[in-house]
Amino acid sequence: MESDKKPTLTSNNCAKAYEDSLQVPESASAIPKRRQDLLKWNGWGYKDSHFFVNKNEQGEFTGERYNISGTIMPGMKDFMMRKVSIDLNKKAPAQPELTARDIPVPITNNEFTSEIKKAGISFSDDAQDRLFRGHTLHEIFILREGRFERLPDLVVWPEKHEDVVKIVELAMQHNVVVIPFGGGTSVTGSLLCPVKETRMIVSLDTSQMKKILWVDEKNLTACIQSGIIGQDLERKLMEKGYCTGHEPDSMEFSSLGGWVATRASGMKKNVYGNIEDLIVHFKTVTGRGVIEKSCVVPRMSSGPDLHHFIMGSEGTLGIITDVVMKIRPLPECRKYGSIVFPDFESGVKCMREVAKQRCAPASIRLLDNDQFQFGHALKAENKSIISGFMEGIKKLYITKIKRFDLEKISVATLLFEGNKSEVAAQEKRVYEIAAQFGGIPGGEENGQRGYMLTFVIAYLRDIALDYKVVAESFETSVPWDRLLDMCRNVKDRITRECKERGLQHAPYVTCRVTQTYDAGACVYFYFAFNYIGTANPVHMYENIENCARAEILANGGSISHHHGVGKIRQKFLEPTISAPGVGTLQAVKEFLDPKNIFANGNLMIDVKSKI
Amino acid sequence: MSDNQSRNVWIKIDNPLGPNTLAKYKDIYEDVLDDRRLSSDLKFCLRNQENVPKFKYNTERSSSDIKEQVLKSDRVRYVIEHLISDKKSDKASVEKEAEEILAEMAHNFNMGSIRFFAFFMVKVFKALFRRVYVNADGIQMLRELIKEYPVLFIPTHRSYFDFLLISYICYEYEIPLPAIAAAMDFSNMKFFGWLLRQCGAFYIRRSFGTDKLYWAIFTEYVQSHIRNGDRPVEFFIEGTRSRTAKSYVPKVGMLSATLESYFKAEVSDIMLVPISISYEKILEESLYAFELLGIPKPKESTSGLFKARNVLNTDHGTVHFHIGTPISLRQWSVDGNLDRIVHSLEPRYINSLTDDENELSKKLAYHLVLEQQKMLVLSPWTLIATVLIQAKGGMVHIKELSKEVDWLKRQLFNLGAYVDWPANVQVENVIEHYANLHSNIVRVREDGIFEILSQNSVKRGKKLLQDEVFLNGATNVMLSSYRNQLMHVIVRVCLVSVVVNSCQSTSLKIVDMLEQYAFLERLLSREFIFISGKTKEDFNNAVIWLQHVGALHIEDEEGNIKFSLNKHIAFFSAVLEPFLISYWVLCQHLLSLPVDVHGRALAKKHKEIAIDAQQLGLKLLQDSVIKNHEILNLDMLSNGLHSLIDMGTMYKDKRVEENYVSPNHRLVSGIAKKLATLVETPSWTQIGNYTNKPITQSLSSKL
Repeated sequence: MESDKKPTLTSNNCAKAYEDSLQVPESASAIPKRRQDLLKWNGWGYKDSHFFVNKNEQGEFTGERYNISGTIMPGMKDFMMRKVSIDLNKKAPAQPELTARDIPVPITNNEFTSEIKKAGISFSDDAQDRLFRGHTLHEIFILREGRFERLPDLVVWPEKHEDVVKIVELAMQHNVVVIPFGGGTSVTGSLLCPVKETRMIVSLDTSQMKKILWVDEKNLTACIQSGIIGQDLERKLMEKGYCTGHEPDSMEFSSLGGWVATRASGMKKNVYGNIEDLIVHFKTVTGRGVIEKSCVVPRMSSGPDLHHFIMGSEGTLGIITDVVMKIRPLPECRKYGSIVFPDFESGVKCMREVAKQRCAPASIRLLDNDQFQFGHALKAENKSIISGFMEGIKKLYITKIKRFDLEKISVATLLFEGNKSEVAAQEKRVYEIAAQFGGIPGGEENGQRGYMLTFVIAYLRDIALDYKVVAESFETSVPWDRLLDMCRNVKDRITRECKERGLQHAPYVTCRVTQTYDAGACVYFYFAFNYIGTANPVHMYENIENCARAEILANGGSISHHHGVGKIRQKFLEPTISAPGVGTLQAVKEFLDPKNIFANGNLMIDVKSKI
Repeated sequence: MSDNQSRNVWIKIDNPLGPNTLAKYKDIYEDVLDDRRLSSDLKFCLRNQENVPKFKYNTERSSSDIKEQVLKSDRVRYVIEHLISDKKSDKASVEKEAEEILAEMAHNFNMGSIRFFAFFMVKVFKALFRRVYVNADGIQMLRELIKEYPVLFIPTHRSYFDFLLISYICYEYEIPLPAIAAAMDFSNMKFFGWLLRQCGAFYIRRSFGTDKLYWAIFTEYVQSHIRNGDRPVEFFIEGTRSRTAKSYVPKVGMLSATLESYFKAEVSDIMLVPISISYEKILEESLYAFELLGIPKPKESTSGLFKARNVLNTDHGTVHFHIGTPISLRQWSVDGNLDRIVHSLEPRYINSLTDDENELSKKLAYHLVLEQQKMLVLSPWTLIATVLIQAKGGMVHIKELSKEVDWLKRQLFNLGAYVDWPANVQVENVIEHYANLHSNIVRVREDGIFEILSQNSVKRGKKLLQDEVFLNGATNVMLSSYRNQLMHVIVRVCLVSVVVNSCQSTSLKIVDMLEQYAFLERLLSREFIFISGKTKEDFNNAVIWLQHVGALHIEDEEGNIKFSLNKHIAFFSAVLEPFLISYWVLCQHLLSLPVDVHGRALAKKHKEIAIDAQQLGLKLLQDSVIKNHEILNLDMLSNGLHSLIDMGTMYKDKRVEENYVSPNHRLVSGIAKKLATLVETPSWTQIGNYTNKPITQSLSSKL
């Protein structure tokens, strides 16, 4: 056997990759260069972590990474049977790992490849490297059941800004397509390669640009390479006593560059802001050279803000490299909380009031009843009599004394950050507002569980797929006055569309309000259905999601709050930003990328504008 | 009930259509009264309401909760603030006005009254009707639908009893009773006005054109019911009871105000349920007839309704109540490419429907009327009436009548109509039965001759109306209202027949036919419901049908149509004759108006012109220049006038909020000439004698 330090390797390229990561110990990442060694190639997250139904027909979560790892969830199976009508006897196991034979033969461009080699930039055409893509349902379903029509032909790993400049120059020179790849957590189809592309496609994997280049404690800024993933960034800053406070639900795997390219939003934006509030400066390598500002200043008036052109450009204009970001001292105190409301409507009213008074804690989220019940179903079996007893008392209090209907209640989870007195004051204020709307405190533990579940919820799709259920989430932003109607109408529409398409079982649709703003909120929908008896579940899912999005727009909601447009929402772009708007984006694209080497086909590309 | 005195020799079975021979179940229908005749009314009205389905998103609220929420709504507050800031009024008085409007409008739904209503109505219905047939599948569908969607009931409106029947049937089948949009005049009816309010009727003023506050309160009140799905909302798309028993041109205002809830995405869909109620004998038939003749109707009153013809002691035959297939507004708007995203930029309480949405509402309104028509049940009496109107001198032998009615029945079946023809009963027996049911209109003499009766003289105020021509006219108008009930089935075929019938040669180019057809359709578009843009399709279908029955055949590729005059063409063109002659007389009247110095006739109000034209018709009738009594029907004359206005043949003036019109001589005479080629009219010289005389005598002096 080989030495203990090296895991079993399957190709030479990867051996090199592993050595590379060992050479720079100061920036060691939680995720190896060869991701598939640690992460699932055809599902969400770590290989060692997944849900399954054990031989006693109880739900269980494996591994040791999360709080619920290793726990047994007696309620889960029933919930899945009741809500998405799974049949334990009808499994749809994923296909075995794909090999080079199962994927398209790469298109080669020898001049480009040899120049890359000459420049000393790491690259690979290994099947597994080429296969590691995004997490849209469509992509995952192909990995489990089918074959990709088009994949990147080569993967390159630049390590610094200059490498990226070199790659883009060569791509321009040799007419090669470059698709940037950060953490691969996209759920908009933005990492899918256009099937009709005949040029060589290079996946520019930023994962090795993962250093924090400098930290400026006077201005509280840090210059960070764009490939760093969220968990590494926070961990490394924490060592110095800082944080960025940017915590999207995908922060374990998603990258800084990806956040900028999609206009990401973090859970704690109420304290730290969304990505556009956090960024002070960044470089973008385009076909015409590098776009950047000449100074690192908090604000300036110099015409339209170029940052805002690139933020949300989804890889269509260039590659984001070094990013200067705000950092904050670590908060002294972090406290969870939860509130139980008699129904979703009163919860929403409370959130609106909290937003109005601008006293939202770092995070405040409201789960609808279905989601509350789902969280309940994922509860571990009671390990002690005492905690079981306490659960009973709590339930008794809520249902018998407060007379809440368990089929109607909704729950808000809270996260407070700051120094002790600030947190205490905030808590008092929020709970007071909650009381006005009939909300009662539901305890710290429930809040904490809620936030932990956000990380785990992404793993659920894999077990759902195991049992012939397709599932996905989508999000939007909406003005306050239309929020309730929108949630109800979208759920209604989905249910009806499923029925009209002859699905045997009713779908599971649930939503939660995840962010509050002065003028509105962000709403997440989760949607799953049992696809037994349908020919093309992904296609059906996409159709229904499109209907749901049309319903969202009709209800005054937006195309997306932070996931972006990608490929799956392109048809809603023009209705959203107007035909001249699309034309503007296209004109900028034409100037910056005359050869269309950033041809990932996202956003405004290929949108047939009316102009 | 049967009148044994008028028994005739050819009747084989004693009272062949007596109550015992009508089945409780018939085709898709079941009789709702049958069980009630066998069980206690008290028990019926006290039964519990546990099985009544509820809209899934409904929040329970009382009538006063609704009022309070309406007053506090964004929409109403917005308008109130506007009125205050426009200095139109101060806060206290606008708010007071709002409260008064709402008090006048709102229903006061409560279960106690419903029980009383049920107890009372079941007795009334049992006395009035032999059977009230309801399609059972519609009931089941409704019960499910109510749970899932906000529902609108869109019934036909031909009698006061429409309200009562719908609510009664809902009670019977454990469907939530509707909130009914009723006209304000009903609220003044002593007992019913109150009872209906208790049972969910809310009252709306007949016209409130520019009153923003009224409009806001009304819209909010209706939409509030839609959003919360408290109960189905019921309104009559024709706006008022049809006096002529054919569908009125739909009113779109109420409909679009209701649909706004969907356009603004307050609800995910609205289901519109057309309902058709067919009466064998309309309770208000003689009231309507006199009203159509221009004899002022007595004020809406309960005692008036029941006294009118000793109603409760008269047999009113059967009623068919048909609940149609629900129309999904969402589907309708998806098909119409309507994008609701346009409402994202403004608060939803600001009144702002787009042109597309108004257009869609209008199309939907017409569609709903056509859907209602499809479900109407034709009583054999409507066939008898149609044939009788064509009888020379108002008399016909029963043998011939039977032959004709039987022929017409086959044509109607062939056209897809539901004729309520009893199985295994001789045609003569059927006719005899209906002659009994309508013994106020016809009489069968001992020699088997049918004759149309004249109406008894009536008292209006202190005056006694006894002019023979008028009283004859009343019967004819009554009879025509029964013919009208089947007009929607045959009208397109009739139009083609008129065109063919008027042709001097034996063949015709199809394009020319279409042109004439389109002219007639336009002219009669206030009379019958046509969908704009479907003229050609309708025409083709009618031609194909006539071809199918052998009345026409297409001769060659160029679309020459060959025909010989035959039964179909003769009969169906004759059906339209009364309309065309009346319209022609109307044109003659307009052309006879003296022209002043500006080259125009003196502008007059619509109503005045119609009454004057009626006077001309009356004289022509008295002197037997024309035989068509329907010329006295003011509704027809007014429709004609409106069509002429729609066709741009009239000058329009708006004076003090009222429309005044005067004819464009050249254009009106063009129409008159065209009509004269399509239908046989009295000669110019005959008419000239009448029209040159100024008309001074007014109707009231005749009374």
